[in-house]
Amino acid sequence: MPSPPKPSQTSPSLPVVEAVELTKIYHRGREEVRALNAATFRIERGEFVAVVGPSGAGKSTLLNLLGCMDAPTSGTLRITGQEVQGLSDQQRTRLRREQIGFVFQHFGLMPTLTVAENIALPTLFARRRLAQRVDELLEQVALSHRRNHRPHELSGGEMQRVAIARALVNNPQMLLADEPTGNLDTATGDTIISLFQQLHQAGLTVVVVTHNTPLASATQRQLTLRDGRVD
Amino acid sequence: MLLLALRNLTRRPLRNALTLSGLAVAVAVLACLSAFGQGYRSQLGSELDRMGMQVMLVPLGCPYDAAARVLKGKTLDNSLPASALTLAQHDPAVAVAAPLLMVALPRPSEGRTDMWVGLDRAALPLKPWWRMKSHVTPGSNWFPSDDSVILGAEAAVTEAREPGDKFYSPETGQTLRVAGVLERSGTSDDSLFFVPLATAQKMFHQPGRLTAIALRLRDPALISEATTRLQRIPGAQVVTLTEMMGTFLNLVGSVRTLLLAIAVLAVTISTLSVFNTLLAAVVERTGEFSIMRALGASRSQVFGLITIESLLLTGLGSACGMGLAAGLGYGFENIVKQWVPFAPSGSLLSLTSSVMLRCILISFGVGIGASLYPAWQASRLHPADAVKMD
Ligand SMILES: Nc1ncnc2c1ncn2[C@@H]1O[C@H](COP(=O)(O)OP(=O)(O)OP(=O)(O)O)[C@@H](O)[C@H]1O
Ligand SMILES: [Mg+2]
Repeated sequence: MPSPPKPSQTSPSLPVVEAVELTKIYHRGREEVRALNAATFRIERGEFVAVVGPSGAGKSTLLNLLGCMDAPTSGTLRITGQEVQGLSDQQRTRLRREQIGFVFQHFGLMPTLTVAENIALPTLFARRRLAQRVDELLEQVALSHRRNHRPHELSGGEMQRVAIARALVNNPQMLLADEPTGNLDTATGDTIISLFQQLHQAGLTVVVVTHNTPLASATQRQLTLRDGRVD
Repeated sequence: MLLLALRNLTRRPLRNALTLSGLAVAVAVLACLSAFGQGYRSQLGSELDRMGMQVMLVPLGCPYDAAARVLKGKTLDNSLPASALTLAQHDPAVAVAAPLLMVALPRPSEGRTDMWVGLDRAALPLKPWWRMKSHVTPGSNWFPSDDSVILGAEAAVTEAREPGDKFYSPETGQTLRVAGVLERSGTSDDSLFFVPLATAQKMFHQPGRLTAIALRLRDPALISEATTRLQRIPGAQVVTLTEMMGTFLNLVGSVRTLLLAIAVLAVTISTLSVFNTLLAAVVERTGEFSIMRALGASRSQVFGLITIESLLLTGLGSACGMGLAAGLGYGFENIVKQWVPFAPSGSLLSLTSSVMLRCILISFGVGIGASLYPAWQASRLHPADAVKMD
């Protein structure tokens, strides 16, 4: 069974995400693309939320802003109570490293590193040594027997489990996943969905972007985006 | 981090190996050159010290060429007038004036040219380090009779002669007796044939001819006044050995400058190749760097990773280069010796720790320099792009 995440340092009454009139404008040549248009929403601590909507609706854009990978053009965004618009790249990097775990559609494992080393990678960036935590996570995603394998020796589902373990290694406040089952067949996708559910039950805040109906229906709540607006 | 960098180096083995070997060659050339320069200076100094003379009178012509030929045991086309010897002997500053006749004896049947040196007893004090295996009187350093020949160690080996053996020179029709064999000295003397001056003049049909006069002064301080007087001797010119050493060092200096230019070029090319390798690696791994950024790597950590990879590459390259220099340096030395006037016979290479340190510093500089731009590129990658990447 998944171990519960470390208790949060911030007050439990604060929402993990609080977005007010959140806007992101991309510039493509002279053209302005309003990928996110004055979106206002909250995500409470421990929620399991699916972000859904048609292609190009701004789902990935939203997730990138939540993950502090990009700065919003305007509006307010608070992550665990901290305002992130106007933070420098360095400050956003720190927030990302300490508060957020990210899972990609394409897994994003380092091909030269073993499973265990891939999981430990974020601790290297955070300058921590958590050998025990890696063992724990390997067990949690049921890959202890694969710890010294390279990513190319794993199946897609195994790779995604490694990626999830890696996202959890720094004990984040929130797990973000962009189409985590997009590259997997239905059966493998189901194991990933149940892993997310376990994490949610253990108290972690989980936000997934998905087109996948089973994953969306496994969540507590769906946040629907249409043309950059929250429905 | 180091582990990650190391792993990344192993993923393009061929490309990295090529870059590595380019750098290794550049470092090896550089190491050899620096080592060579230092070795040459110290060798030349000690060899000139052992000459026992400070001044040489040579026929008119290019004085340094003439002096170098005499020192290396090669012939001269011009001769000194006989009067030069008398005038030199009467100079108040001169302690020893040793007339020399050097003749090249081509031996087409053997495929080489032997060098014969005629000298008289006056030359003995100039060769205080002559040690000889003699059969006549042990310890004797001179020709017991007119038909004596003293062989350099090398010459004795090629002629297969021992002291006491008869020695027939078919080209001149002269029969001689080996009075002694010099012990190996590491100088040009090793390959020479020494005979009394008069014998040499007779056997080569050059009566009275002298090709050089080696002079030792009563006091080295008298050198400038002695030089002024000796310069007035008609048909002769004066070369001082200190002057000559300076000229040799200058000549060697220009050869070195040329080789140094090649080495600088080699280092530049290998810097560019390291740069190219890193840039290609960054382009190829854009996705990975974005993902690292998304996982919480700071810009400086990504920058550092590329720099470490670069330093690993150049560090390994310079280690190989140093090995190459130590291994192949002696072959290189032989090539260089042919280029350089009056190359001393000892080893010119001295791979000292200061030479190695310099090479390590240079390759460190190459590593940092070549990684700056690729590392900057990688560190600028956007974490948000990680989502789009494969
Ligand atoms: N870096 C960018 N530069 C310019 N335009 C961008 C950029 N990223 C996204 N966009 C545009 O912003 C809009 C929203 O993109 P986003 O990727 O958020 O959509 P999405 O909902 O994730 O779509 P999909 O379901 O296809 O992944 C799109 O019109 C897209 O073309
Ligand atoms: Mg998307």
